[in-house]
Amino acid sequence: MSQIPTHINFRTNVKNVPPHMPVSVRKATSKFLGTRQAVVDVVGDERWQALRQAGHEIRLHSLTHMDHYLTRLEEKVRAAGGIVHWARDAAEAKQIVLELAKERGVKRAVKVKSMATEEIGLNHALQENGISVLETDLGEFIIQLAGVGPSHIIVPAVHLTKEGIAELFTQKLGVDAPPDPLKLCAIARTRLREEFLSADLGISGANFMVAETGTLVIVTNEGNGRMCTTLPPLHIAVVGIDKVVPDWESVNVLLKLLPRSATGQKMSAYTSFITGPRRSNEEGGPKEFHLVLLDNGRTRIMKDEVTRETLLCIRCGVCLNVCPVYNNVGGHAYGFAYSGPIGAMLSTQLLGMKTAADLPFASSLCGACAEFCPVKIPIPEILLRLRHRAVEGDQIERAAAPAVIQAGVKLGTLSFSLPWLYEFGTQMLKYIQAPLRKNGWLPNLPPPANRWTMARPLPAFGADFRAWFRKRKNERQR
Amino acid sequence: MNAREQILADVQNALHRTSDAPVAAISASARIAPRTPDDANAEMNMLFEEIGKLGGATGRVKKNEIKAALEKLVKEQEVKKATLWNTGELEELGIAQILTELGVQLVSPLADKRAMAECDLGVTGVDYAFPETGTLMLRALPDKPRAVSLLPRVHLAIVSPSALRADLGPAFAEVRGDNYWIFITGPSRTADIELTVTIGVHGAKALYVWQVI
Ligand code: SF4
Repeated sequence: MSQIPTHINFRTNVKNVPPHMPVSVRKATSKFLGTRQAVVDVVGDERWQALRQAGHEIRLHSLTHMDHYLTRLEEKVRAAGGIVHWARDAAEAKQIVLELAKERGVKRAVKVKSMATEEIGLNHALQENGISVLETDLGEFIIQLAGVGPSHIIVPAVHLTKEGIAELFTQKLGVDAPPDPLKLCAIARTRLREEFLSADLGISGANFMVAETGTLVIVTNEGNGRMCTTLPPLHIAVVGIDKVVPDWESVNVLLKLLPRSATGQKMSAYTSFITGPRRSNEEGGPKEFHLVLLDNGRTRIMKDEVTRETLLCIRCGVCLNVCPVYNNVGGHAYGFAYSGPIGAMLSTQLLGMKTAADLPFASSLCGACAEFCPVKIPIPEILLRLRHRAVEGDQIERAAAPAVIQAGVKLGTLSFSLPWLYEFGTQMLKYIQAPLRKNGWLPNLPPPANRWTMARPLPAFGADFRAWFRKRKNERQR
Repeated sequence: MNAREQILADVQNALHRTSDAPVAAISASARIAPRTPDDANAEMNMLFEEIGKLGGATGRVKKNEIKAALEKLVKEQEVKKATLWNTGELEELGIAQILTELGVQLVSPLADKRAMAECDLGVTGVDYAFPETGTLMLRALPDKPRAVSLLPRVHLAIVSPSALRADLGPAFAEVRGDNYWIFITGPSRTADIELTVTIGVHGAKALYVWQVI
């Protein structure tokens, strides 16, 4: 996905969700949740909760002292021989990367999966200027071939079957591709190997930026991240300013939380720690290192003391995995690079209410996301605040009625309905978590909750919120 | 106002901070007690067990049996070309010489990336190892080029008990002045196609970790 949307209509998007989407999505989310639970159990609940609390405090401290840590980071990256750029918005960031690439005659760029570059539509900008850009994470490579956006933060091609991928490879790569993950993987490996070796630019994001030493921390599994940040002579990292953390003690805590929450791994296969360019020719690595610090709406998000906690996010994706709404619709319905609860919070604030006012309503506020979030972001609270902003406006933004409200929900009903929904959601949590502990998932929920979690409810939220609400109310009174 | 000044000013305005407002050190991480290590042997066992779970092959190799072990590896993985770190540690074990004797062509670790990519085997040491997660930490220095553990099809890492650390903290403290290091936890993997775990995507397809005793 290289285009930045100008309007997201969640309701329409939901109608266009193909029937197999919830099936493939749940397969992924239940698997991740199962492996996550297993590694969290090994840590032990008490220590895990202590880690989450520390993670929260570290990220909040980083956020509320961001100017201090950014300047420190900049100083350290410079001292290490890197060059730091600042970009207020997507256009500035793209301009910076484009100019660097042009000045050095870059023809081929290879990319590590990065949400920030998805967010600014970097690929599109480079391609328009005649620079080929190749996504090298297998999932991203597949969806780039397919020409669609990611359907999950961690496994972007989760909506595609091996048969579909084989067909795609046959068509787009002109090879004979059998529907076998191992063989498909081998095809991608051979194909990308040559690209890694011949690329003149490697583009990455970062999971964390360590202010103390000016170090980028990049967490990956396939090895493509290492290739992109080691082999090309030029490395450009585009990173949101929210990714800064104070020191190595912080990284230690966050690295205990991130891989376990994201993929249920104790540690991802490869974690790279990069401070500036190579220091000696012998060790290898890029000769030139540039860091583009991206604002693109983040300082605006920081103005609201409640919603600013969105920026604590470490992009683990577990909130997607536990979200009943996400499990029903998949990532594309959210219309932008970020999906699920984090998408509902972040896309809305990055793109603005005019574009994304639907998204804070794409949630049942059941609260499961907040229970699982490794840095304890109060997700339902933030969504609630954003709903109010959508309807009433505040000092940050004027109101912009989302489709749900246009469909007939009056303000009174809305604010009345929210505490009720919240209460309903809290009750749901009991049902949701019990089977989760056994690594099961929502399809097995006992009635009446199963009706809510099967195929229907989400469209019901979007299409006729009020009728759905009345129906539930009547049922409860009966 | 340029972009830098504006972003910093916007951050400060949003947070109601002034530019020279002091920042107290953050203590949250100090509350997390580091893992307590077992004895070195148990720690090594744990490391090997975790790496084994991820699909890596681990083992203890007697010094006088290195040749036999390498011979087996070379056969198993059809190794024709190999490269290795230029460290005293590997030199002392005579790895380069044994490989040559086994008919493997040695490629300098300082060779061009295309030559490195043609290697079947890359041999490295391990600077730190974390048993809890099965993680190896490799620094990048003139005698430890990054590509040795990256481009060859098979990665053999030689680990010694002195590399073991119970927690990440001490290792970070010791290397924070470095410009690059990597954590390797099992061979490269993906679950991107129908969540089928597939080993050997872009990085090493096979990982061997040996302790020489
Ligand atoms: S909001 Fe929390 S749970 Fe969701 S992706 Fe971010 S860190 Fe993970």
